[in-house]
Amino acid sequence: MRTTAVQRVDLWLRQATPIAFMVLLTILSTVPIGVPGYTAVVPAYTAMSAFYWAVFRPDLQPPFALFLVGVLQDVLVATPLGMSALTLMVVHGLAVTQRRAFLGKPFVLAWFGFVLIYALAAFLVWLLVSILALRPVGPEPAVFQYLVTVTLFPVVAWIFVRVHRHVVR
Amino acid sequence: MARRPGSFTSDAQPARSFWSRFAFSLLLAGAFALMLLGKADVLVVERFRTGVADVLAPVLEVLSRPAASVSDAVAAVRRFRDLRTENERLRVDNDRLERWQHVARRLEAENKALRALANFVHEPAAAFITARVIADAGGAFVRSAMINAGTDQGVRRGLAAVAGEGLVGGVVEAGAHHARILLITDLNSQIPVAVERTRDPAVLAGDNTRLPRLVYLPQNAQVLNGDRIVTSGHGGVYPAGLPIGVVTSIDDGTIKVSPYVDWNRLEYIRLLDYGLNGVVKPSSGQSSFTLMGPERSASGQLLGLGGR
Repeated sequence: MRTTAVQRVDLWLRQATPIAFMVLLTILSTVPIGVPGYTAVVPAYTAMSAFYWAVFRPDLQPPFALFLVGVLQDVLVATPLGMSALTLMVVHGLAVTQRRAFLGKPFVLAWFGFVLIYALAAFLVWLLVSILALRPVGPEPAVFQYLVTVTLFPVVAWIFVRVHRHVVR
Repeated sequence: MARRPGSFTSDAQPARSFWSRFAFSLLLAGAFALMLLGKADVLVVERFRTGVADVLAPVLEVLSRPAASVSDAVAAVRRFRDLRTENERLRVDNDRLERWQHVARRLEAENKALRALANFVHEPAAAFITARVIADAGGAFVRSAMINAGTDQGVRRGLAAVAGEGLVGGVVEAGAHHARILLITDLNSQIPVAVERTRDPAVLAGDNTRLPRLVYLPQNAQVLNGDRIVTSGHGGVYPAGLPIGVVTSIDDGTIKVSPYVDWNRLEYIRLLDYGLNGVVKPSSGQSSFTLMGPERSASGQLLGLGGR
């Protein structure tokens, strides 16, 4: 079956959606919205995105694109360059190796998987920050951010499911 | 998610082949290498960071406008609700401030006379640059804000940033159209300050919480709850006397300061240019900052008195 140019562009756009959506989330997460205390605990939307697509459509989330999104996030948030890139790739890598455990199972299981995998990633970030700062930094903000992120995961995942069903297909 | 979308069973299995594993490890190593390069203060990395942020600044600016109007609307509703109590409070405040105004006028006149007598060297007059906050980058480990003015508008590294009532932080990165402010609550912010009442010098050190700590106080310093903390002007980076906050808790030698700045309504920031160069060298060829590096000489001097 021959595909027309329009169809190819359409397919390409659909396949680029996960990464494009992630870039959008990266930018949106830095926009000041004036909610008290929000900046300190702004959830790690990109990590959720990395986990979701790594489990359900890893073919649409090439590691190199993740790397670039991570660097972009580092530039915007002013974390050391490469840190978010590393986090996203760790989440992606772990999720891809464990994805069989989540496919075809109830959503709660995937949520639980995210809770575990993101705990590892968050710990890694804390460790790296502490090493770069040459002293252990207070873990409280990281713990809060972790809790907010895993709590909000089902809500954000619901949006990913919509995007997955209606846009990516 | 009972019915999972898409057909993942038929998907290729990406991280299986040798080549994709190799690429993945290579990228992981790349991320580590980037971190090390950033840590080593390579100028190229810094240029890259500033360049990318400069390109994205207009996007952030556009996006931050609707967000700002939403928070404006929320604030408006809240204000309307509190109108009556607010009015009452303001009336009381006004009475009190009028009395203060008399005192201030008298002191100003006296000050002027005494300065003339003592041949006092005047502090340089400040130039202002006011800019909007376009990104309020948070997360667990960084406290910084991005504003929509850069070197094109005369912003340079080391300028003090104030918002309304108090010091917000200092400019640590200036691109052509954007600048990044390191907030005084950030882990790497260390500012020379003084206790206003006693003139005891100290350093205000951020620790990523909302309440930065007062460290390096003299042994015999007597600090009380409610003492005002102002910049001391030591180091020649910030002008002396900018208000920062009040002491809110003294606990086992840990003194916490509550900043005057309302972090939730950080919309506009005023940069003060006193023409002070202090210990900050011109930015070209200078080793750059990292928000998370330890206090090496450059960033340590920039933000305060240096390492611990």
